[in-house]
Amino acid sequence: MTFNLFMELLHPKNVTLQVTIQSSRLEVIYLTLLKNISFKQGIFYALLALCCGLSIVFVHHNEQFYDRPIAEITQVAVTESESMTDMYENEDYLFTQEITAIIKNGQHKGQSIYLTNDYSSSGAFDQEYHVGNEIFVTIDDRATQSALTGTILDLKRDQTMVIIAWIFIFTLLIIGKRQGLFSIISLGVNAVILSFALDLYVKHGSVSLLVVSDICALLFTIISLLLISGLNTKTYVAIVSTLLGTVIALIISSIVMWLTGENGLRYEEMQFLTRPYRTVFMAGLFIGSLGAVMDVSITMASSIFALYEQDPTISVKALKSSGHEIGKDIMGTITSILFFAYLCGSIPMIILYLKNSSTLGLTLSLNLSLELARALAGGIGVVLTIPISQYTAIFFINRKRVQE
Amino acid sequence: MNVIVLLAVILFALMVIVGGKQGVRSFLSLFLNFGVLFVTIFLMTNPKNSPIILTFIACTIISCISLFYINKTNSKTITAFISTMVTIVVLLLFITFITDKSMIQGFGEESTEEISIFSLYIGVNFVQIGASVIIMSTIGAIMDVAISIATSMHEIFYRNPSISRKKLYTAGLSIGRDILGTDTNTLFFAFFGGYLSLLIWFKDLSYSIGEIVNSKVFSAEMTTILCAGIGIALIIPIASSINAYYLILTREKTEKLS
Repeated sequence: MTFNLFMELLHPKNVTLQVTIQSSRLEVIYLTLLKNISFKQGIFYALLALCCGLSIVFVHHNEQFYDRPIAEITQVAVTESESMTDMYENEDYLFTQEITAIIKNGQHKGQSIYLTNDYSSSGAFDQEYHVGNEIFVTIDDRATQSALTGTILDLKRDQTMVIIAWIFIFTLLIIGKRQGLFSIISLGVNAVILSFALDLYVKHGSVSLLVVSDICALLFTIISLLLISGLNTKTYVAIVSTLLGTVIALIISSIVMWLTGENGLRYEEMQFLTRPYRTVFMAGLFIGSLGAVMDVSITMASSIFALYEQDPTISVKALKSSGHEIGKDIMGTITSILFFAYLCGSIPMIILYLKNSSTLGLTLSLNLSLELARALAGGIGVVLTIPISQYTAIFFINRKRVQE
Repeated sequence: MNVIVLLAVILFALMVIVGGKQGVRSFLSLFLNFGVLFVTIFLMTNPKNSPIILTFIACTIISCISLFYINKTNSKTITAFISTMVTIVVLLLFITFITDKSMIQGFGEESTEEISIFSLYIGVNFVQIGASVIIMSTIGAIMDVAISIATSMHEIFYRNPSISRKKLYTAGLSIGRDILGTDTNTLFFAFFGGYLSLLIWFKDLSYSIGEIVNSKVFSAEMTTILCAGIGIALIIPIASSINAYYLILTREKTEKLS
């Protein structure tokens, strides 16, 4: 219900058109309706703005919901600064801050706490704090009531995160309108499904991760494609070819891994996991390539169907060759989207390795092997999906022709 | 035989079978882009170079390769290139501000063990590197939207040369909206796949929602995903207005001449 309302709100033209035809006093009604709808739309955006305001106020005053003590910094003074050179001749500056903060929650609420913070100008694992920052702290037990001391754990980041999330929502809604709303819904729903599925996997040891990610992939594909292009044959074609494409790509990569004995894959960067690395890696590979494969299959399906709808007598040969041309065009860009999305995440770690005089070969194989394998496997999925979606679309078109 | 080499060979073979000459070019451009990325990382290790400026240069080279090498130099790729660069500058400013505010630079708790053997005081500016990572992760998608909008708007203009600037601009917006859904999807799932191990780690340690939201790793992931979405959305009006402006300008010029 609410979903339909959203659609109506964001699609004022449909409603106004229908009503104007029935009316004798076209213009008057049209104008009042336009007012009504922009009024409705106004309400929608006003509600959104209200939510935005409320959530920002909430994250600035939600300290009592946290168990960990939170303090707001009121005074900062840099007491020491020195330059240093490490064993690899890297130069950096170290600083010490004396921080005074006020505890915002728990039994010591309202009291001042004195903290020290060491940070470097590069900031790889530390940070400089400013007045107004809210931080998580631990309070020392032995401290007398008058002067609390403690250590800093981390910054409270929810305030910035909420603001970024709202900027994201408003940018997508204002620019993308209906499609923007659908992208947001798709992201939200898929994230919830993934989180729920992982809960299931973590809590019940008997469920295999591959089965969980299979079911997830099925749901992701159906939901995302329905949101992108609605309930129609195009979407069915895209769903079928996405599933075929990703599964075949997954089989190819499994065969490759089995043939080579996983030579060249270094799982060290997944060391923090207490679970079998390989299954987690394969599941990530599966889910990761899904979006790109969906992109290819929906683009192929909609263009082939558009050609068919323009000229229902078009020959299969012509459909095939146009499909081929479109496929060639999108292949390169979509694989490069995947490449950049995967590889760039390793940049900070690679820099750290190189600055610590690690050899180039070791640095790259430790930090890029999994990402490269993921990107290549995704690329294989993308390229394979071009002929798959082409033939699936033509198959469905042929069936339609026979039925008619 | 190495897994990566074998996968690369398979990808190359498939690209050639499906795409012929263009497939070879697509594969080569992947290779070149990887090279540019690599050189950029190498230059970033020198603390004297600003990572933001390096990122900007790298993005310029990468878009030149992807736009001018694959699609040849013409008015379409030139407008696509300009729109990509404008978007990247806007995004760079925004993301640098965000990474500075949320302090998501550097490494999170999950890599504590891995980095414990390293010297962390290496002099490079990790806040700027964090911003570079986010920008570079999105550049592929931004270029994709830019070239799609440029191609379709040129097509519309040639079919209907008397179209007004406003109409052309709206047409560009609606084309952009159609790609918005699929491109954001591609990135969302790529990131979901890449972060899967981290998500499992969070679940394993049964972090509370409060702990997850405030942790550095999760905030960094969220910021990347959200900024990617913002970038893809932002380029739509930018590319539409640049193309509309350019196309109408060329029409006015030819009218004056004749």
